[in-house]
Amino acid sequence: MNALKWWWGILLAFALLGVSRTFLPLPFMNEVVIFSIYAMGCNFLIGRVGYISFGQPAYLAFGAYACAFYLFYFGTNPLVGIMVGVLGGLVVSLVIGPLFVRLRSDYFAMVNLALAVIVFYLTQKVLVDITKGDNGLWFMTRITSTPGLDLTIPGQFFIFALIVALAVCAFYKYLDDSIYGACCLATKINENKLQFLGYDNFSIRLLAFVIANTTTALAGAMYAVYLGFVSPEMASPSRAADPVIVTLLGGVGTLFGPIVGAIAYTGMKDVISKLIGNWELFIGFLLVFIMLVADQGIWGTLAPLLEKLLWRRKATLPVATKR
Amino acid sequence: MSREILSVRGLNAAYGEAKVLFDIDMSVATGQIVACVGRNGAGKTTLLKSIAGFLKPTSGSVIADNTPLTGKKSYDIAKFGIKYIPQDKKVFFDLTVRENLELGSYATKDYNWDRVLGFFPKLQLLMGRKAGYLSGGERQMLMIARAILGSPKVLLIDEPTEGLAPGIVTQLRETFRELARSTALVIVEQNLPLVCAIADKVYAVRDGRIVAELVGPEEISVAACERYL
Repeated sequence: MNALKWWWGILLAFALLGVSRTFLPLPFMNEVVIFSIYAMGCNFLIGRVGYISFGQPAYLAFGAYACAFYLFYFGTNPLVGIMVGVLGGLVVSLVIGPLFVRLRSDYFAMVNLALAVIVFYLTQKVLVDITKGDNGLWFMTRITSTPGLDLTIPGQFFIFALIVALAVCAFYKYLDDSIYGACCLATKINENKLQFLGYDNFSIRLLAFVIANTTTALAGAMYAVYLGFVSPEMASPSRAADPVIVTLLGGVGTLFGPIVGAIAYTGMKDVISKLIGNWELFIGFLLVFIMLVADQGIWGTLAPLLEKLLWRRKATLPVATKR
Repeated sequence: MSREILSVRGLNAAYGEAKVLFDIDMSVATGQIVACVGRNGAGKTTLLKSIAGFLKPTSGSVIADNTPLTGKKSYDIAKFGIKYIPQDKKVFFDLTVRENLELGSYATKDYNWDRVLGFFPKLQLLMGRKAGYLSGGERQMLMIARAILGSPKVLLIDEPTEGLAPGIVTQLRETFRELARSTALVIVEQNLPLVCAIADKVYAVRDGRIVAELVGPEEISVAACERYL
């Protein structure tokens, strides 16, 4: 019964996203959905394991470039490209993870930021022969149509992205409710206490790191296919705070926080950038406001109110029936 | 017939340059309740932490069930069946009672909660409550319940009755007696009447050394314990 309940919640949320497509511009919706996947990984790291990472653009770039290399040099199937991107993210996370997850949260944040700087300069200056430097890799015209949903058509790409995001969201919901999710939360609360029970914190954190960054790589690969282009800008350290901001904006550790955050962030970026030039300034002030007044984020603040409202309705129902 | 389940020989431990434990020898047999008494700062908690692997001994050995544990990781020692219950009663606040117990079950693969809920039936009523909202006594019950999943060989319990109401202390005293039928207990405790009521053996710890070993009801008394504090 409970399983049915949360499935309905997720399906309803994504149905709303799908319906929004009818009155909101397609590029905006595509960006929202991909950004949601991007933020889901970050949300898991911050909300469940307590790790803030300012290096998410690096993992986004790993996924994007792995996918782009395949589509630029080897193949034309975007689905295979996305799979290569995910595999790239998985391998990199498995190699880097054992080194990074040994660090405490503040050092973890900085070492990841350093990784983003390294990846940015590798793609921009060092590996110019294969990444084409600032010019980036263009492969839009190389991508072939796929059976079923044709990912070269933005409208159909949106449906595909929505299905992927739904699957990722359901996966994280499953993780949150699993014993492993509880282990992650426990290691965030007090890692020593978890060791008393016989758990190896390192393994728990490493798995979380791999899961979160593979999700980020998936978002990177999807960006690559959607845009048909990747450039070092994707790994730019100046964008390092974006997923963290979206996560905080939406509500850290909440299921729908990344989606709500992505809608709010992308929406504000679109609307405010049309009104004033420096939209980042507004985002900065908004973030300060959220941190000071509503540290649960948008969804973290709204969800309990909605729950209360629904609960009240349910509570009044038997009384009405009795009458 | 009881046999030796935990043996500590010549154990020395230090926090950096500061030596805290000096040549500790102790032994615990199956079905035994062993208490460590001493003033604050005597090294009792450090002794438990050294046995549980949270503090690496500088020398000496810890052997449990004929298996050397010295130098092993704390989580391996816990998996082996030497469970440490710390003093501060810090359960996982954001997790429910059920999730806290599930963590214990998942680590030990023991999903039979009937036994633990037999010891602490009150927990059954609190399953859905976040552990952060439990009282001190309920938290202590939860920590012990979680630790005894998987039937550990030895429970190392640090100041279990500190800050608890007398009623809860009485309840815990009975629980410890029940537990000792299947698990050896090493309890660090300041409550001397409790110690005298349940302990089969008492080690008095002073300045990081064991200064006395009292065995049996003839030797164990509040007055005898106080002599070494």
